[in-house]
Amino acid sequence: MMITACITAYGQSSELLVSNCVQNAGPDARYLKDFRIQLGKTDNPGEPRYKTQMSLWKNTKYRFSLCNSEDSEGLLYLNLKDDANKMVLSSLDPETGKTYAFIDFICNKSGIYQLSFDFTGGLKGSGVGVVSMIK
Amino acid sequence: MKGNLFFILIVSLILSVSCRNSQKNSSGFVFPEDDSIPLGEAEKLSAEAIADISNNIASPVEIANLLQMLSVPYSPGYLASSINANRQPTDFDKALALGILGADLGYLNMYEKTATAINILSDIKKLAEGLKVGQFFDFEAIRRLSLNRSNLDSLLFLSIDSYTRIDKYLRDNGRGHLSALMIIGVWIEGQYLATQVIREYPHPVLRDRIGEQKIILNDLIMLAAPYCERDTEFRALCGYLQDMREKFRNVKITYSLGDPVSIEKDGGLVVEQTETSNVEMSDEQLAGLVEITGNIRNKLVLNN
Repeated sequence: MMITACITAYGQSSELLVSNCVQNAGPDARYLKDFRIQLGKTDNPGEPRYKTQMSLWKNTKYRFSLCNSEDSEGLLYLNLKDDANKMVLSSLDPETGKTYAFIDFICNKSGIYQLSFDFTGGLKGSGVGVVSMIK
Repeated sequence: MKGNLFFILIVSLILSVSCRNSQKNSSGFVFPEDDSIPLGEAEKLSAEAIADISNNIASPVEIANLLQMLSVPYSPGYLASSINANRQPTDFDKALALGILGADLGYLNMYEKTATAINILSDIKKLAEGLKVGQFFDFEAIRRLSLNRSNLDSLLFLSIDSYTRIDKYLRDNGRGHLSALMIIGVWIEGQYLATQVIREYPHPVLRDRIGEQKIILNDLIMLAAPYCERDTEFRALCGYLQDMREKFRNVKITYSLGDPVSIEKDGGLVVEQTETSNVEMSDEQLAGLVEITGNIRNKLVLNN
């Protein structure tokens, strides 16, 4: 029963996190998709662990917003690679360790892209990545 | 000696990987040959791969956004108004119609046509309940947001999120064929919208978007493949997708290389891609796509 209560509580807070992240994407942003990420700590941080795909289309400006739950130990970041496995963007600057809460991406090549998410330092955390279009 | 051999091996490996990548970039997108995706292989698609295909379909919201950017006015003539939610005898019909109407809902929401959106929502509700997935739609909240035009983003979120939940639920509960139908319905209606609009507004950006759908069609064929022999309805649908594939076969998508450019702005990062994709499609090829998309979509809608 306690487990059920915990799951329900996480479910509710996750919904709230997503909803806030969508709202905070900005008045010029139109929601397209969200990815909800919950990861434990890893002893071997390297390649981001949560991987997914989505199509992105030429002549479109996208916004990737990254939001963290309060209890996350690391900060959520995103790497975007194209279908030739070429890194297109990262919200984490590997040299300084700085993360960006949002990235605007002016897409000029239509195709299927790989989105990889993780928390900085391989720490545990939960968060959401929201993809919007900018009008 | 051992060191030299190891060095040669590493260099060969690096060269082979980089050559493969550069070839991909210069040759453009082509369909895999028919026998490279046998039915057995498609049946082995993992849950993750199917979820990825679902993510890869261009959102109808994106197509509607593109039409707005091109100053294309709203037209009710593009909607699948002949679909009657009360007359969908099979789950096949219901799931396909749910996808088609989902695309129409995205179009209506973007153009803020609230009255029509609410009518379509009522049909979507009936179809979803018919498939026993009505619990994933908060119809009252969506209806309320439709009436409140100031909250378009919340409306888009709730509508798209409901479809995402239905899709996942169907896949997780052994009804992947219905999820596939919904996804195919969304895609066909989005492509129908674009191909109808281009007849009156022949903008090159819209033309490219139609041709670029070649990238997605192969995924849809893979998604449908495990169910093609399920019944006559699926067999016909798989045939339609193959017909479309033939029309796309000689449409070329090529790429020019470039490195992304990044700048910091307002606390965020702005990245502009300099690599580009280019569609090579003749007027005749476009006319073929317009015709086949219209024919197939109308068959599917009228069958309903």
